[in-house]
Amino acid sequence: MPVVIVPPPYRGPTGGAAEVKVEDGSVRACLEAVEQEHPGFLGQVLDGGGQPHRFVRLFVNGEPLASDALETALAGDDRLEIVAAIAGG
Amino acid sequence: MAGGPSGDRIIYVDMTSQSAEVRDFPAEWKLLGGRALSAKILLAECDPACDPLGPDNVLVMAPGVLSGTAAPTSGRISIGGKSPLTGGIKEANAGGNPGQHLMKLGFRAIVVKGQPADADARYGLEIDGDGVRVVAADEYKGLWNYALCERLHGRYPKESSFISCGPAGELRLAGASVACTDQDNRYPARHAARGGLGAVMGAKGLKFVMVDPGKTSARQPADRKAFGALCKQYTKDYLAGPQMFKTGTSSVVPVANMLHTFPYKNRTEGQSPDAQTLDGARIVESFEERGGGMHNCMTGCIVKCSNVVHDAEGNYKTSALEFETLTLLGANCAVSSWEDVADLDRLCDEVGLDTIETGAAIAVLMDSGQMDWGDAPAMKALLEEIAKGTDRGKAIGNGAVATGKYAKHGRVPHAKGQAMPAWDPRPLKATGVTYCTSPMGADHTAGLIVNPGLQPDQFAWESQKAQIVNAVCDSSGFCQFLQPTMDDIRGFYAALYGEDVSREAIHDQGWECLEDEWKFNSGAGFGDEDDVLSEPMLKDPIGAAPTVFDVSDDIVRAAKQRMPAAEDLFTTKATG
Repeated sequence: MPVVIVPPPYRGPTGGAAEVKVEDGSVRACLEAVEQEHPGFLGQVLDGGGQPHRFVRLFVNGEPLASDALETALAGDDRLEIVAAIAGG
Repeated sequence: MAGGPSGDRIIYVDMTSQSAEVRDFPAEWKLLGGRALSAKILLAECDPACDPLGPDNVLVMAPGVLSGTAAPTSGRISIGGKSPLTGGIKEANAGGNPGQHLMKLGFRAIVVKGQPADADARYGLEIDGDGVRVVAADEYKGLWNYALCERLHGRYPKESSFISCGPAGELRLAGASVACTDQDNRYPARHAARGGLGAVMGAKGLKFVMVDPGKTSARQPADRKAFGALCKQYTKDYLAGPQMFKTGTSSVVPVANMLHTFPYKNRTEGQSPDAQTLDGARIVESFEERGGGMHNCMTGCIVKCSNVVHDAEGNYKTSALEFETLTLLGANCAVSSWEDVADLDRLCDEVGLDTIETGAAIAVLMDSGQMDWGDAPAMKALLEEIAKGTDRGKAIGNGAVATGKYAKHGRVPHAKGQAMPAWDPRPLKATGVTYCTSPMGADHTAGLIVNPGLQPDQFAWESQKAQIVNAVCDSSGFCQFLQPTMDDIRGFYAALYGEDVSREAIHDQGWECLEDEWKFNSGAGFGDEDDVLSEPMLKDPIGAAPTVFDVSDDIVRAAKQRMPAAEDLFTTKATG
């Protein structure tokens, strides 16, 4: 099953869970599956138009995913990682 | 293979006699730099019970261990002393080039003691290849930081960098910062801001430090091949990553707002209705029409998170306009325009003030009803008032707690007398544990944990881990935005000195730094009862599911008891 890696800032809705296993499907479907299990998660990643927020980067198996590639299929041991910018300054 | 940089020295300055001497740097301290070195010196040479603005306080300026080498983004310098704001030990660090320049000359620290008999006298400290000299500097008295540096540039070689204090430091205000010039050596835009160390510098009559590196080159490691390979690989890996700060820390605004840690109106709410207009994306959009852009604040930086902000006419206005400044001088005061915040940022840099403390103080004044929310013109006038030393200006310049007393207003969010930064301890409770237990008070750079999903039984370790990692990072010279791990840092140390630095040794270094600082604070009169947050954090809820900081005393105490090192201690990235 593919795994969605949740960055620390987004673990409020997941109750602290760092990884969530989901059924095979597109990147978008996998994110929606996490939302089903952990309401409030998806809005942190996608904006109102269903696209990744400007401050979010997605990686599939370590490779950056273009923001318009949410239909990319995930299966087996694929890992979808969400990276969010966090710093003070 | 041992070796590495040798012949290092330490500068001792006596401001009572206006003299300086250079001593050998203790060989056993070779892996101590920045924050850890500052703590070690203060513990040994400063009476913790002293008046922070008197002759017995000691001001330390200490670059990190890797500063002056070819390691990427490693040139930060720590400023340390007893804080006039908290009454405890303080370290604040800055980018720019003075740290690199000092280390290239082989100076591991400047230790400033004493105080001139004439409180009106001003002095400068000149450091170059010919030696170290204290010089009269009365002609610079009262100058704002930018005008000061312009004058100094006309006097000293163009390669020189400067450390200075503005009028707020000279007025000995507890929110005063220490300014460092940026990588172009032009603008005093990099500030060791927190804790009022600018007031300590001002109280010593020291208006500026000039460092002329001459034609010195980078510090040479013992194992040049290994060190060079590390630099190359680390840079390659970083540039291949997401580079989340390449548009500046101001791009964090929407994330923080989403997480209810973008405080509004003196932290009575966790989200601002002005997050869109304060978003760093607006600053980036301005580059095309006005110029400005992203740059590195110090030589050799690969993060390049510093923005250069221009005004509508295309002229330089300020650098860098950071997330914390947009939060405290913006949202927290209900200011909606990033351009107004840019003006306020420039004024703080000019007068020499911490933007976090100053923004928090003004929000307290507004909350008391003595200034309108969002009145940016009045805020700008107030910052100029601080430089003139009026009673109201002094109250604001002395920070949020002093402003609360002046305005007779009780809602003052702080820990150990230092105002809360943007990251709020109510939704981010492990960060709140850091604010309670850090020797520095409410300081996100002491151990920031942005993870609202943590459970209470995780708070103590997560806070302790973050505090150790950041203490080690702030001792290395690496910038927290590079996000090095302790394994990364010990790898660089090993190549620098040609000897293994074990995980145990680097863990010990981080813990010893915290212990030294806690010990100093104990001598200054702090006890467990001071490891708390102020009342508003305990009583005023914020967040989607409104919450207060309700972490038990037992958990807070546990963060100060050394725990066994877990694997993640060495792989967790520094975050500030």
